[in-house]
Amino acid sequence: MTVIRKASAFEILNHWVLAVSFLILAISGFGFLFQLEQLNAVFGNFNAMKNIHNYAGIVFTASLILTIFHYLPVSLKFGADDIAWFLNGGGYLSKKSKVPPQDELNAGQKLYYIVILLSGLAIAASGFAIWLRPQVPDIRKLVVLSHLVHNIAFDLMIIAVPLHIYLATLANPGTLRIMITGTVPLEWARKRHAKWVRKMGY
Amino acid sequence: MARKALLISPELCIGCRGCQTACKSWNQLPATKTVNEGSIENPPDLTPNLYNKIRYVEMPSNSNMVRWLFVSQRCMHCDDAGCIKICPAPGALFKTKEGAVGFDKDKCIGCKLCVAGCPFDVPRYDEKDKVSKCHLCSDRIAEGLEPACSKTCPTGAIRYGDRDNIIGKAQKAGYEKLYGQVDLGGLGVLYAFKDSPKIYGMDERPQIPETVVFWHKVLKPLAYWGLGGAAAVSLLHYLVIGPKKDEGGDQL
Amino acid sequence: MTNHWVDVKNADVVLVMGANPAENHPIAMKWVMRAREKGAKFIVVDPRFTRTAAKADIYASMRSGTDIAFLGGMIKYILDNNLYFRDYVANYTNATFLINPEFKGPGELDGVFSGYDEKTRKYDKKTWSIQMDDKGIPKKDMTLKDPNCVFQLLRKHYSRYTLEKVSSITGTPKEKLIEVYKTYASTGKPNRVGTELYAMGWTQHTVGTQNIRAMTIIQLLLGNIGLAGGGVNAMRGESNVQGSTDYGILFHILPGYLPVPSASVVDLKTYIEKFTPKTKDPKSVNWWGNRPKYITSYLKAIYGDNATKDNDFGYAWLPKLDEGQNGSWLMLFDQMFNGKFEGFFAWGQNPACSGANAGKVRKALAKLKWMVNVNLFDNETGSFWKGPDMNPKDIKTEVFMLPCASSVEKEGSITNSSRLGQWRYKAVEPIGESKPDSEIMNELYFRVKRLYQKQGGKFPDPIVNLTWNYGEKDASGKIKKVDTHSVAKEINGYYLEDLKVGKKGHLAVNFVSLQADGTTSCGNWLYSGSYTEKDDKVVNMMARRGKKDIGNLGMHPEWAWCWPLNRRIIYNRASVDPQGRPWDPKRAVIKWNPDKLDPKTKKTAPGWDGDVPDGPAPPMADEKAGKYPFIMRADGMGAIFGPGLADGPFPEHYEPLECPVQENPMSKKHRINPTVKLFYGVTGPHDKPVKDGGRPEDIFLTCDIRYPYVATTYRVSEHWQTGLLTRHLPWQLEMQPQQFVEISKELADEKGIKNGSKVTVSSARGKVWAIAVVTDRFKPFKVMDTTIHQVGLPWCFGWQHPEDGSGGDSANLLTPTVGDANTMIPETKAFMVNVEKA
Repeated sequence: MTVIRKASAFEILNHWVLAVSFLILAISGFGFLFQLEQLNAVFGNFNAMKNIHNYAGIVFTASLILTIFHYLPVSLKFGADDIAWFLNGGGYLSKKSKVPPQDELNAGQKLYYIVILLSGLAIAASGFAIWLRPQVPDIRKLVVLSHLVHNIAFDLMIIAVPLHIYLATLANPGTLRIMITGTVPLEWARKRHAKWVRKMGY
Repeated sequence: MARKALLISPELCIGCRGCQTACKSWNQLPATKTVNEGSIENPPDLTPNLYNKIRYVEMPSNSNMVRWLFVSQRCMHCDDAGCIKICPAPGALFKTKEGAVGFDKDKCIGCKLCVAGCPFDVPRYDEKDKVSKCHLCSDRIAEGLEPACSKTCPTGAIRYGDRDNIIGKAQKAGYEKLYGQVDLGGLGVLYAFKDSPKIYGMDERPQIPETVVFWHKVLKPLAYWGLGGAAAVSLLHYLVIGPKKDEGGDQL
Repeated sequence: MTNHWVDVKNADVVLVMGANPAENHPIAMKWVMRAREKGAKFIVVDPRFTRTAAKADIYASMRSGTDIAFLGGMIKYILDNNLYFRDYVANYTNATFLINPEFKGPGELDGVFSGYDEKTRKYDKKTWSIQMDDKGIPKKDMTLKDPNCVFQLLRKHYSRYTLEKVSSITGTPKEKLIEVYKTYASTGKPNRVGTELYAMGWTQHTVGTQNIRAMTIIQLLLGNIGLAGGGVNAMRGESNVQGSTDYGILFHILPGYLPVPSASVVDLKTYIEKFTPKTKDPKSVNWWGNRPKYITSYLKAIYGDNATKDNDFGYAWLPKLDEGQNGSWLMLFDQMFNGKFEGFFAWGQNPACSGANAGKVRKALAKLKWMVNVNLFDNETGSFWKGPDMNPKDIKTEVFMLPCASSVEKEGSITNSSRLGQWRYKAVEPIGESKPDSEIMNELYFRVKRLYQKQGGKFPDPIVNLTWNYGEKDASGKIKKVDTHSVAKEINGYYLEDLKVGKKGHLAVNFVSLQADGTTSCGNWLYSGSYTEKDDKVVNMMARRGKKDIGNLGMHPEWAWCWPLNRRIIYNRASVDPQGRPWDPKRAVIKWNPDKLDPKTKKTAPGWDGDVPDGPAPPMADEKAGKYPFIMRADGMGAIFGPGLADGPFPEHYEPLECPVQENPMSKKHRINPTVKLFYGVTGPHDKPVKDGGRPEDIFLTCDIRYPYVATTYRVSEHWQTGLLTRHLPWQLEMQPQQFVEISKELADEKGIKNGSKVTVSSARGKVWAIAVVTDRFKPFKVMDTTIHQVGLPWCFGWQHPEDGSGGDSANLLTPTVGDANTMIPETKAFMVNVEKA
């Protein structure tokens, strides 16, 4: 079987880092939001959980920044195909629905990345503001605003990420191997990223 | 148990600061090295080791050379407490059965969100980054004693008792509406002001920051509805439409 | 206090002048606020807008040291507008008395009363005498119209205190004066009562006693003495100052206000003759006529079996003053400065900070051979030798520190301003080597006694003959541990023989049972009845905690015990009309009841209801047995005319030693009180300091361009006295960390002083640094058409603690060496300073 490389080893690693740190942050975040004392079984106590949350935040932020090099340039290129993709609901609305050939990332993936990047940066910035409380004239305002931003971004991500996981697993069997080997079967790729496959010379 | 409250009557306060010392004494709070900055108000603001302080306000007067007001400043023990609302650590801030807002330094995670959530700028953080503030002497009142401040007050400017009772008494004394009677679900520290609360350095209408309310009412539910929704949509899609099958042929 | 703390709540008008209870007597404010809640008007008169003033309905500012002008104006206002309580004045005061026609006042004699001798600076009081009829009873004019009657003399004297004059002296706007006068004078009606609360703001002046006299006159004119909610009430500066005064801490009195004899009072007979006032008026109780019983019982208490009829009950062993000797604070430290003392016990005090002209005090300490400092902490006094401007190498004084127990580490009584003796219990054991004062005295006494016994010495008798039966003795005869209860019992007194009033060995029931023949003993007659026997059981009356009240007036007769005889309001016979009916039935202190029921015998007999009356005698109108109300006075009358004082029978305004005006606006000749003891020479008609008029330490400068601002010193609620106890409490220091000086915005602008900046305050005698507190609570005064600035600073700081020196030093480094003409209390409330940016 011919395979085609979709992600470098570093990309794979970084994606895992991002994913794992996100999971830690999201779970502990939920813990804080709803005061889930059951999580003490995992984290020990809330103080430990806060520390883990804070340091996971650093990892997450660093990882997120690295993704910029991987996904941002391609995510910013929008064209007619992308519009058509959206018009056809990404081909997910029925078994028959078809989408135009897509490049390396389809329109949904591009949008997803931009949402994740923006909300990720927002959640990181606001998180650091709450954590480190820089010297500003009105620290209370800053903390209140940061708290708001942190939670809006969290809401966005907590909706987007599960969909992303679903689409990358159950909805599209075979996708997950990108996160493992970095390669995909050519046939698989042709079906989903025809334009990109052609560009790659297959 | 009936909700307990303090009634603070600046009209009766003589600014002697017995309450300030009594508070420190009961709570064994260390002193801060201060300097006189041109006022007898000292320390100039609440600190992690100063739960209650007298604010001195000098202002112009028509009948006298000056008006000099004294008012006790401390945690208001809101019914609808912004600090508790926003606090992420279970048990770090809590309501006692008397209605006081207590705190547990061991459980506090030092995030300081309570500082942001408090409409009165009350919570302070100690050197270990733990919340610190007036707790209505919750250890005393749990034993049926009154708080150290009201116990010490020589003139009755700080009175302690059942909240309803206190309100009734104040109304009889001619205070139709007390500051804090209805605000924030009713404060646990009520003020009998003869003038606008503003001149005593208080907000006319104290409020939990709107964003905190928005977060509490919208964002917080959205987090689990969002997560649940995303999962549900995925499941539904999987069951109804199913995964993409490669045998479906090439893309166009 | 004539009345008591709780009684303040009964007043219709509360005047606080010469005091700042919100800061120095916070508990007093509890009752002031109670009175206010019931609709009373609260007036504060003070040079500065204090925390007390913040609570006032009417606040009037007044230049420091001009109280008599202020009050003199009120007396004139009351008389001019007929606001006095005529029945009271005519029946209960000496307003009706006719005075020697040769008596002249300062209005006629350039600022002095008749009889003044400029050389001795003393009055010959011959012309101040009261005219007597042929029975030896004062001549009276019940119409109050005789030009020689006290009432008319009073009117004449204060006719000079016009609103314009008063305002130009005090700097108080005329409208404010009228407002205060009108409000306070409204209590001249029988159903309205006013009270006055004062403290050191009145006493610490060269005219201190007369400040209080002026108020007494007002209270008598308005009929406010003896009534609930009335009186002239001294708020004592410490919880037990009343007690210490009662027990004779001052040089001129023995316990129970028995005079200390001078050397010329050679024996007990002479003493009794000299100090026992007499009256020929059958209606006068003249309680001091009992003096022989009290002095004899006192001698029996202190010398016990050694005091016998044959040896004059040991009278010869009593310490005597030299003729004219004054042993007051200023004199003691002056003598110490002169090297007249070898040693000094600084017991529970801190003179290096508390003494007026503390710089001189500190120098005086260096002249001592030894000093014993008895205190809770080392202080500026014990460590004076390493203080500022001191060279330890040059100082030979050996200092011993004896740590003593605090008030919660010992048992005993304290007497508060209400004359209320309250028993207190030991809460904790003294820490370390500290001991209660009584134990320190016990050690000292037995060591001194042993030395006298071994070595003899010049005059061992007073020591070796002293009784000291305060507990179990060890083999050497020393008391092992002082039992406070036995001290209290000795004070209460015993029957020493089987008497009609009681059996030998039993505790005296009260001072009425004391005898002048040596058959009773009593350490302090005023406290007789405080630790007594009831139904053959010993009762410590001071330990009672009953809450029962009389007529909701807050008298609480079963709460502890007050002198005399548990009488809560003294002169209460003046609270009823001559028929014994309360002037104000709603505030009945006592009331004559023709059918009073005796609870024991179940029989009725005429008697008094309510408080313990000033004697059981029927009301004054009773032809046979009626008595006058003012039982402590020989003539039985409240003294509007007071010839007993050194500086005049009526209070007259004199300027403080240091003042901002060239001359006394009331007098062309005498700027200052003409009878004060001067430590620095004066000259000319306006009492200017003469060149080289004395030691530089005692210098004063008045109306001098170098020291242009009036200053006053005071305490703050956060610190106690010199701050020795509170500066060691970090919590208190946190609130008041540093010496400060309060100045007006106007003066700050003039001098370019910023709020919170460091300034230097200096007087002719010394200087201190202070933080400027620039405030609207101080305002310049318009005095004699010029603008006068006043500043004020607390005296609670000292160089020794906090140890980094961040607190500053005592404001008493600035205050002058001069005192009141009668009491010698230093004039620390009004003097002149300069303020400069540091």
